[in-house]
Amino acid sequence: MKANRLLFLLLAPLFWQTGCTDRCEETRTFRRYTPVTLTLTQVREGVRVEEPRELKQPGKIYTKSGYLFINELKEGIHLIDNRDPSAPKQIAFLRIPGNGDMAVRDNILYADSYMDLVAFDITNPAQPREVNRVQSVFTNGQFDGGWWNVNAQTLTLSDQRVDYVTETRKTDCDAAGSSNWASCPTCMVDIGFASAAFDSKTAPSSNGTAGSMARFALYNNFLYTVSQSDMQLFNIQNAANPKQSSRVNLGSGIETIFPYKDKLFIGSQTGMHIYDNSNPANPTRLATFQHARVCDPVAVNGDIAYVTLRNGTQCGGYTNQLDVVDISSLTAPRLIKSYPMANPHGLGVDFPTLFICEGKHGLKTFDATSAIDIKQMEHLAGQDAYDVIPLNKTLLMIGKDGLYQFDYTNPARLRQLSKIMVSRPYAY
Amino acid sequence: MPIKPPYVMRTILLIFSWLVPALALGQTAPFKPVFTNMTEIGALFGQVKFGTQGMETVSKRVNLTAQTFNGVLLNPRLAVGATVGVDWYNAALLTPICAGARYDLARPNDKNLRIFASLDTGWGFSWLNEDAAGYKTSGGWVISPGIGFRIGNVSNSNFVMALSYKRQEAEADKPLFSNELAKHETRVYNRIAIRLGVSF
Repeated sequence: MKANRLLFLLLAPLFWQTGCTDRCEETRTFRRYTPVTLTLTQVREGVRVEEPRELKQPGKIYTKSGYLFINELKEGIHLIDNRDPSAPKQIAFLRIPGNGDMAVRDNILYADSYMDLVAFDITNPAQPREVNRVQSVFTNGQFDGGWWNVNAQTLTLSDQRVDYVTETRKTDCDAAGSSNWASCPTCMVDIGFASAAFDSKTAPSSNGTAGSMARFALYNNFLYTVSQSDMQLFNIQNAANPKQSSRVNLGSGIETIFPYKDKLFIGSQTGMHIYDNSNPANPTRLATFQHARVCDPVAVNGDIAYVTLRNGTQCGGYTNQLDVVDISSLTAPRLIKSYPMANPHGLGVDFPTLFICEGKHGLKTFDATSAIDIKQMEHLAGQDAYDVIPLNKTLLMIGKDGLYQFDYTNPARLRQLSKIMVSRPYAY
Repeated sequence: MPIKPPYVMRTILLIFSWLVPALALGQTAPFKPVFTNMTEIGALFGQVKFGTQGMETVSKRVNLTAQTFNGVLLNPRLAVGATVGVDWYNAALLTPICAGARYDLARPNDKNLRIFASLDTGWGFSWLNEDAAGYKTSGGWVISPGIGFRIGNVSNSNFVMALSYKRQEAEADKPLFSNELAKHETRVYNRIAIRLGVSF
């Protein structure tokens, strides 16, 4: 008996040998960029209509006359017949190398293809036809954090292929503090989502409605496209024949553009710029509403602008809130109130209902009748929500796992009409 | 920064759980189930090996630990109850709440020395832990077997010294760099604990 106890005492220190090492493993999923070179001819010849395919990395969403256009990041556009929102039908995939943005006027679809702007005739949406191309009008840009630029001498394009890599490493179990945000070198880039939906009612009837972080906007006889720092105008008086027009420098970190009445609201990572567009050929800056450096989609209704600020991968900062801004005086925008949010992404307003995507926290609807007392009506958790377009009582919502459509006749109780699945190349 | 109410409440509860046993002093009756307490403070000794293969580094770790076991003496040798503690790891302040048992293995020569075995298992909570911006730490399963001895008369307060092994799991989400989509750390603290304390 006694010997047993002695043995026990002797065995105890064995733990010291075998079991007293902390084991910490960090698993991270990240984008790995690999340089690739393409010739401009290769890019220009890559346009074609293909069979409908699965959504993998949806970017911007756009809708026009019952059709839905969903960008597949850097690949092209999914064309979807959405005349019956409860049964959307994928009709074709329009392959456009280097595509990220689009806009539709009448039967003409404008899409970027790396350095070019391409115009398609979509009279028959199942068979889009390239009708025109403004060549080499954009010089650089980025997709999913990977930059591309054109070399005019060699007529080549340098791009970065993005792979999603998951790796595990042993850590010292100690990292709980010093975060290295400040040294984040590529924080100025932004992701294909993050968004702004402008009020559909104000857009001329011949234009479509943009959802996500629209970088293309239509107003009057012009198509406005914003890059990281510039706004390039195209004259589309003859819709099928866009002409390169003037270029306006905007500053850095530009994310979104949307026209509201005769104004252009330009969302950047440091603030919201307001441009007077009463002369559509020459927008002039009126004011800037400054805020912390975060991502900031904007929606506008009447004299009120709704700005969501969020932190996250591409955005920096640690702010998550909804700012309600009085823009009755466009030269002096004034903050009315800030509301705390979880992680707001895209938003849309169909006054008095305000829709806010909270990323992985789901979708929230608010009664925004009073700007100083915005009330939450419903919170749909359980699915990811990035961006919304509210249009004619049907809410289009895109998230990581799918494109959802809801009937919001009763905004306090959304009714799901349909869902188009998305299969992501990574698990998060 | 104002202190959050739940933080204050948890701290008060914690202190209470340490004080309450004092009120019960002297309720010893040999063959009836009675209340028993063992309160200890000590250190968790360990090490960690990290880095990429071929470039690994080792560093040693010592962290403070405190715990109190409150239970019922079911028979003269076995007590069962709950153990509440706090462990200050370098990157996490965890509050383990466990079901625990104490069993007297021997009383050599019927002197005032008793050798006991202990076992505690439960969940380590991260309630008291403050996270830096972008971090989110959560606790996990904890188990701690050990042995120790107490010196003193059976009917009086005893001095306790114990040696135990502790395995504590924890997890943390970490802030992301611009090209990262997810970063998660799973932690297993494997430690040897040496504790001193009192029991009655």
